[in-house]
Amino acid sequence: MNQWLDERLHISRLNDKFLRKAFPVHHSFFLGEITLFSLIVLILTGVLLALSYEPSGVLVKNPMDPMGSLVPAAYASIMNINAMPFGDMLRRIHHWMANLMMGAGLMHMMRIYFTGAYKKPREINWWIGLLLIVFTALTAVTGYSLPFDNFASTTLKVVVGIASSIPWVGEWIGQAAFAGKFPSSGLIPRVYGYHIMLLPGILLALTGAHMLLMIKQKHTQPRYAKELAYKKIVGVPLITQQTPIMLMLALLFTGLVILFAAFIPVHPSEVFGPPGNSSPIVKPDFYLLWVFGILAILPGSLEFNFLGGVFNAEFFGAIVTPGVVIGLLFAVPLIDRSSENQYYAENPTDYPVRLAIGIAFFMMIAVFSVAGYRPELVQSNILKESNANTILWISAVVLPALTYFAVIGIVRGIRKFRETDQREMLAAAAADD
Amino acid sequence: MTKYRRADPEISRRKFINVALGTAGAVGGLGLVTALAGVRPPIRITASKVPAIAGDILVYAEGPDAGKPIDISKLNDKLTHAWPQGKDKTGAPVVRKDEPNNLLMVFKFAEAELVAPTDLKATDKGVVAYSGICMHLGCQVGNNASKPGTLLCPCHSGAYDPRAGCKVIGGPPPKPLSQLPIKIDGTGLAATGPLNAPYYGSTESDWASLLEEAKTI
Ligand code: FES
Repeated sequence: MNQWLDERLHISRLNDKFLRKAFPVHHSFFLGEITLFSLIVLILTGVLLALSYEPSGVLVKNPMDPMGSLVPAAYASIMNINAMPFGDMLRRIHHWMANLMMGAGLMHMMRIYFTGAYKKPREINWWIGLLLIVFTALTAVTGYSLPFDNFASTTLKVVVGIASSIPWVGEWIGQAAFAGKFPSSGLIPRVYGYHIMLLPGILLALTGAHMLLMIKQKHTQPRYAKELAYKKIVGVPLITQQTPIMLMLALLFTGLVILFAAFIPVHPSEVFGPPGNSSPIVKPDFYLLWVFGILAILPGSLEFNFLGGVFNAEFFGAIVTPGVVIGLLFAVPLIDRSSENQYYAENPTDYPVRLAIGIAFFMMIAVFSVAGYRPELVQSNILKESNANTILWISAVVLPALTYFAVIGIVRGIRKFRETDQREMLAAAAADD
Repeated sequence: MTKYRRADPEISRRKFINVALGTAGAVGGLGLVTALAGVRPPIRITASKVPAIAGDILVYAEGPDAGKPIDISKLNDKLTHAWPQGKDKTGAPVVRKDEPNNLLMVFKFAEAELVAPTDLKATDKGVVAYSGICMHLGCQVGNNASKPGTLLCPCHSGAYDPRAGCKVIGGPPPKPLSQLPIKIDGTGLAATGPLNAPYYGSTESDWASLLEEAKTI
């Protein structure tokens, strides 16, 4: 068959360039693949869910309520999906996968950062990767708005509120993006369109570009490749050795997620109920908790007028700060312009400052995420209403600073240890002679 | 046969193609942008979306009596949700619940408990009504289980004091909840005017024009 195809399509040329791409074998190099598998499973389960989901806010009889109270059709269709064989499972797998895709993507990003793989010539792929993360988050947020239960509608209202907080143009943007004043009848179809067409389209296009660039520029090589064959590409070819590894990993991973999904429910729409007159306690998923935390500890009195535009706390907390954070990540390859070492994954401890900045950064995100639990912290008397904001803000500055110096200190220690070790070994070797 | 001599072209081929491409792109792009204009549908105000105005009566928003007029003897210091109910052009009653920001909260306190900055003239025998929508990002405010007597917004834990004009006593909300002036009308409640300040998401000028428009409906 290969020959038959080759005569018509010249696949052997494809074979040489792409299908025999060498993949480094190292566990930290599988994070990106896991992200890709999650995307594939998300698309598969998503297609199945879309077949039964009804993107509409029209009021229909609640299939769960014998009294026949009226609920939005979107919500009713979720109840129907739950009642389908494996319907609830599909929703759980979809939801779990989305969380995992985000998690794996973020860890993949950390690997790239800590091993210096973003450096020239791979800046473009670093940027594409960041865009992928941003759009994955957007896809996830539009996704958990779709069941249109009380939780989802509250979340959406907050999202619309944030979009509308942009000075001058916010009101217009909020209404243009969400089909009129919240909650308009066009709201659910609009978000549905984003979630199943626009955003996945962008994700797929970016993923394609990400892969192509990776094949063109090749992976950085893991450290052991240096000793094995200096400046040569070491790894297993995609066809046929890497493929079974990938398949096994994908199946194993998907199996694990399904197992999890079977036991741990996610987002039980029937518990939240249809949109009503009392908002439930809403929290975003883990990867947006930090934005939520910043919103929770910014005082609402932060608001001023400038040239007719209103600048308020929502704008600073949910648009400016994340914008700055993401902007900084984009700037990483521009800030670190050192172009030595384009072949090998760098040992993080050889670059203590980069390592320390990275870890301090995650510390800061962690503190902000904890701030997302501010109400709970206050309620359980760990913090007081009066001092919660101050304490959380101070920790958001002091803890990362401490982390920074701690990491630098530890790395120094490790290096000294390693150097004396080496010296002793040399001395011992010399003594042997 | 005429001999054509090629004059120095006034415009090079490259330039021509670039200009042509640019123009086509700009026109096409503009065409697409006009299509985008439709993404923001116009806002149509109907009687069921008008904010509470003078003469509206308050009806239960939930529970077994949903849609029936509030019974003041059943009110207490816990939050009771209500919708304003007005009349449309034909005089038929409409509950104004198609605008979720119209949600109201009604309380009844001992008269002496109500203190400034509550607008006392707008209350009646300790009964007071506020907008039920958080001024921060528009969630529905609820009772605070861990601090009885105060209100808590579940979204980012904004806290309000209903005995003191629903002023902000914690969390991020920038402004107190707006108060609806009411009077007791038989066993029920009627609004004697619109909210004393815009509800969530509406600016002073939008609010003024909204009230203006309400008069025509
Ligand atoms: S919406 Fe009420 S505190 Fe944020």
